[in-house]
Amino acid sequence: MQVTIENLTKKFGDVIGAENLSLDIKDGEFVAFLGPSGCGKTTTLLMLAGIYKPTSGTIRFGDTVVNRLSPRERNIGMVFQSYALYPHMTVYKNIGYPLKLKNMQKKEIDERVNAVANTMGIGDLLDRRPGQLSGGQQQRVALGRALVKEPDILLFDEPLSNLDARLRLTMRGEIKHLQHDLGITSIYVTHDQIEAMTMADRIAVMSGGHLQAFDTPEALYDRPKTLFVAGFVGNPPMNFINVEVSASNGHFVATNGNMSLDLSKERGEKPATAGNSVVMGIRPEDIQIAPDGTVPAEVFVVEPLGRENLVDVRIDGESILLLADTKADHKRGDSVKLKFNMNKAQFFDSKTGKSLLWA
Amino acid sequence: MEKKAPDSRRNILRANLTAYGFLAPAGILVIIFFLIPVLLIIYLSMTNLATTNFTTNVSQMEFVGLENYAILLRDQFAGKIFFNTVFYVLVTLAIFNVSLALIVSLLTMHIPRRAGFAFRAIWILPRITTATVYIMLWRRLAVEAPYGIINQFNTLLNQPTYNYLDARPWEFVIMANGFIGVSFGMIIFTSAIESIPKDLMNASLVDGSTIMQRIRFIIMPLLRWPLLFVVTYQTLSLLTSFEQILLLTNGGPGLYDTEVWSLTAYHRALSNYFGNAQWGYGSAFAVVLVIIGVVLAVIYMRVFRFNELVAEPKIEVL
Amino acid sequence: MTVTDNESQGIIHVPTLIIALKNGLLVVVIFSLLALILQGILKPLVASLQVVETVTTTLSLILILVLPYIAYIMSGSAVRELVKTSIPQALLTAVIATIVLFSIISVGHYLLNLGIFAPTSSIQMTVVDTDEGVLVESVVEGGAADIAEVKVGDVITAIRRDPVDRATLMARVAQSEVDSPLRLRMIRDGEEIQVTVRTVLATSSDASALFPGLIMALGVTLITIIWPGQFTPYVILLAILSPLFLGYLWLIIATFSTRTQGIIPLDGEGNIGGFTLSNWDFLFGKDIVGLNVSIWQVTLNSLIIAVSMMLIVLVVSSMAAYALSRMHFPGRKAFLSFTLVLHGFPAVTLLIPIFFVLANLGRTPVIGEIVGFNKPIGIALVMVAFQLPLGVWLMKGFFDGIPWDIERSAMIDGASRWRVYWEILLPQIRPGLLALGIFAFLGGWNAFLIPQTYSTGAGMVNLPVFLNQLISETAPVNWNQIAAVGLFQLVPVFILFIFAQEYLLNIYAGGTKGFS
Repeated sequence: MQVTIENLTKKFGDVIGAENLSLDIKDGEFVAFLGPSGCGKTTTLLMLAGIYKPTSGTIRFGDTVVNRLSPRERNIGMVFQSYALYPHMTVYKNIGYPLKLKNMQKKEIDERVNAVANTMGIGDLLDRRPGQLSGGQQQRVALGRALVKEPDILLFDEPLSNLDARLRLTMRGEIKHLQHDLGITSIYVTHDQIEAMTMADRIAVMSGGHLQAFDTPEALYDRPKTLFVAGFVGNPPMNFINVEVSASNGHFVATNGNMSLDLSKERGEKPATAGNSVVMGIRPEDIQIAPDGTVPAEVFVVEPLGRENLVDVRIDGESILLLADTKADHKRGDSVKLKFNMNKAQFFDSKTGKSLLWA
Repeated sequence: MEKKAPDSRRNILRANLTAYGFLAPAGILVIIFFLIPVLLIIYLSMTNLATTNFTTNVSQMEFVGLENYAILLRDQFAGKIFFNTVFYVLVTLAIFNVSLALIVSLLTMHIPRRAGFAFRAIWILPRITTATVYIMLWRRLAVEAPYGIINQFNTLLNQPTYNYLDARPWEFVIMANGFIGVSFGMIIFTSAIESIPKDLMNASLVDGSTIMQRIRFIIMPLLRWPLLFVVTYQTLSLLTSFEQILLLTNGGPGLYDTEVWSLTAYHRALSNYFGNAQWGYGSAFAVVLVIIGVVLAVIYMRVFRFNELVAEPKIEVL
Repeated sequence: MTVTDNESQGIIHVPTLIIALKNGLLVVVIFSLLALILQGILKPLVASLQVVETVTTTLSLILILVLPYIAYIMSGSAVRELVKTSIPQALLTAVIATIVLFSIISVGHYLLNLGIFAPTSSIQMTVVDTDEGVLVESVVEGGAADIAEVKVGDVITAIRRDPVDRATLMARVAQSEVDSPLRLRMIRDGEEIQVTVRTVLATSSDASALFPGLIMALGVTLITIIWPGQFTPYVILLAILSPLFLGYLWLIIATFSTRTQGIIPLDGEGNIGGFTLSNWDFLFGKDIVGLNVSIWQVTLNSLIIAVSMMLIVLVVSSMAAYALSRMHFPGRKAFLSFTLVLHGFPAVTLLIPIFFVLANLGRTPVIGEIVGFNKPIGIALVMVAFQLPLGVWLMKGFFDGIPWDIERSAMIDGASRWRVYWEILLPQIRPGLLALGIFAFLGGWNAFLIPQTYSTGAGMVNLPVFLNQLISETAPVNWNQIAAVGLFQLVPVFILFIFAQEYLLNIYAGGTKGFS
């Protein structure tokens, strides 16, 4: 089922929940709403679910405008952060409840509940109550309940945030596979960018009730359109340096104090027109400590991440994060030389926050 | 909330109808047994309905305007009864319904759980004993020797004996009502204290706080809402309760010594000394009470910022 | 702080004692001042408003009487800290503190003209009961009796025409105004004479009555010290409860005896004893004297009223509370505030007009047959309406505690609000339903004023109404019988409460707690 959101706005009194959102979600697509808490992603999800009424704008499922439809008329399934299982019902009844509400025959309910339970690997838990289950099991029950009525759209509201790290990893994969196999259009709200990056076909990055970007994970990572997206997506986060980009004889240079970095034409041409109000962004993995580096810096903190070290270096007192090989044994106070991979550098207008490369 | 453009009128209507459907049974009962009676009593208070011209047909009652209120203002005992009521409500509320209730709930939480339960069970006795029997007990405590229980101790100690209902009527009226009132606050406070997260208490214990500090800084702030509830509810209860006073002193021993406003309304309208029930005049007394009650409730709501306690629902549709 | 030497055992821990006494004194002083203010300023103020002194006097008496005891408790807790270091010290300190504070309390009483120091009406002589009458034992020289020429050995038989014993004589004296004449009939040397004594205000000199109080206070203190920590709450709780305790003790004793004086059961001759089960005969089908009603019929009525009220209150108030807690609709806040204010409408206010409402409803065809005056359903609905404000508030609290996600989830699963209410939310507020159910049941079980006012005839007689009939329609009133019926009515609900207390305490907690 295709989902179209047009100019969707939600206000709670004077407080803006979401403003002027427009998105097209394709049939069978897995879309993540990513953003810090309070950014309006859950509000938007609840409007899709029919729990909140939009203040203005339209929501379409397929060709139908669903603004006026109640939740039960929308044929959706939803998994909540708290799982929202009915504590007084057994797992069997929990999963069967949506079917019971459709006045289905007992026999059919039985078949479908068992089928879903077996898919979810909770076939032996059907007689238990939610209180007797572990977090992961409750999560599966909640997923089963959302799936059993064969919804057109699946909504997830931070479903993994109450699980421990290992289980989260497992469930992440399972949900992704399940969604892929069933081909149900899914919308997944999360504040965890790794979840969003690994699971979603496309990610809608939100902030302050506004849609910042809506694109594939790769595009968001490699071609961020705004400063916010660039800073929010990626961990460890992108480094930002104020620079002045200048051109002379088809030669492009980004400078900041003593630092001077050569740019290719593709990267440098557009920023050069913006003059001195340019913010350069560069990801930690695109900076290397190398003997042939051009920028001198001092090592400030070294954090071992296991596979590599996260190194905080200072250039004229400004903090820059980079990833370094664990073998190179850097110590606090070491003087090093940095090499920037300028073909991956991003440039933003410091006033508007818009990308100078991908606008 | 603002008007929502995409909603059809029909949908809003349907959603509201569901809500009103849920409210309907309560609403109908409230209309029949609260709203209509209130309007009716305001009307009654402006008639001279009494035993001599009694009728249940509203249209046949004789309208006299504000005459009953004029009589009430000139009534030489109205001032005394008014201050009696204020005194009775304030003292009972302050000593029993709030303070003692809080003390009892704190104490019963302090002792082992089972013992606490036993004590609370005893405290609930006055509330679940029917008024006739309960007041019989207080009369037994108070009456003259040789039957009175307190006087039995007086006799043992070679002290003069009194009929305490004559000698100390207020103390007994307040105690008899207060002991009923304690259980309400006790239950509300106890459950409120029990619902305070254990982490909070433990953190405070780790910080080395004394019992008094824990009460002052942890328990009391979290009791704001229950306190509002108890104070409001019990003030209004006390203002309107007269059954116990009626049975215990019937407003005596002297002329209107322990007469409170609600009892006066009852006396005037339903049990006049002279056998002439003045429905109209009694209603005027009752109307004053209604107004005081409403004003008090509104003040309480303002003081305790009622609006903050009533959060908006988080589901907006049908 | 001056927490000093732990080694100096056996010496009184001076700082603690001083702190304890300081606290105690401070409380007494503050509240004496308060009382003084009340007596001195408020009294003239309210006197001009025609309010009797009782109001201010009672207030100040409460302050004076209650607060020294609070001071006493406070010092007690200070002393208890001492027990941790040295028990002998603590004991000594406690004894001294007790004596000092008790003296303060006594002085307080004295200053306020209370208790045994109080000047009361007196005729200044002592008497004892004898077979012939009240024998004058001694006469205070120059006192009222002496002036009226009452002699030792006189036997007082009556005041005017009323025969007296010692207790009634003393009571009459105590109650009479100062300087009022009391005409005593008495026998002197075989001759009947009349003497008129004028009462005077005199202080009773019987200070010995102080000692039992002091000894009790000391006893309590010592036990508290020996049982540190655990005992104090019990002492306080029991002390507060003592009137109730005595009252209910009497109730139980009375049901098993022929008659009582105080809490002592007596037989026909006035000796202690007189155990009987006859007060309980009504349980075994015997009609109660004077009323030809079977108790079991009445009990059944009570039960029907209570159970049906409980069910209706639960359904109606939980429905309204659900809408108020979980739904958007115009007028929500107004209805909420209105519910709170509703309880301000005094029952008595409404008793009058509801009578007219029922009477008029009774004239309406069809509806009148069901809910009119003297119809059980109509009366039950009045009681339900009176319970609604409490019910709606309690239920709303419970609904507020249920996570929104559960309801959202149910709505997405396809449930209507009615099904959400009935199938999902109600099962989760079972503790609240139980609590409110018990309240409503109690309300119905104890209902008196409403059935009494709006019904005539035996149809709606429940236990409380029946009890009232026993008192008003039988002569002579058999109080022990009434006590038995009262206890019979009380016991089931008391047992119910004991079992349900844990749920009642959930009233505030609300929500899904306690579920698994």
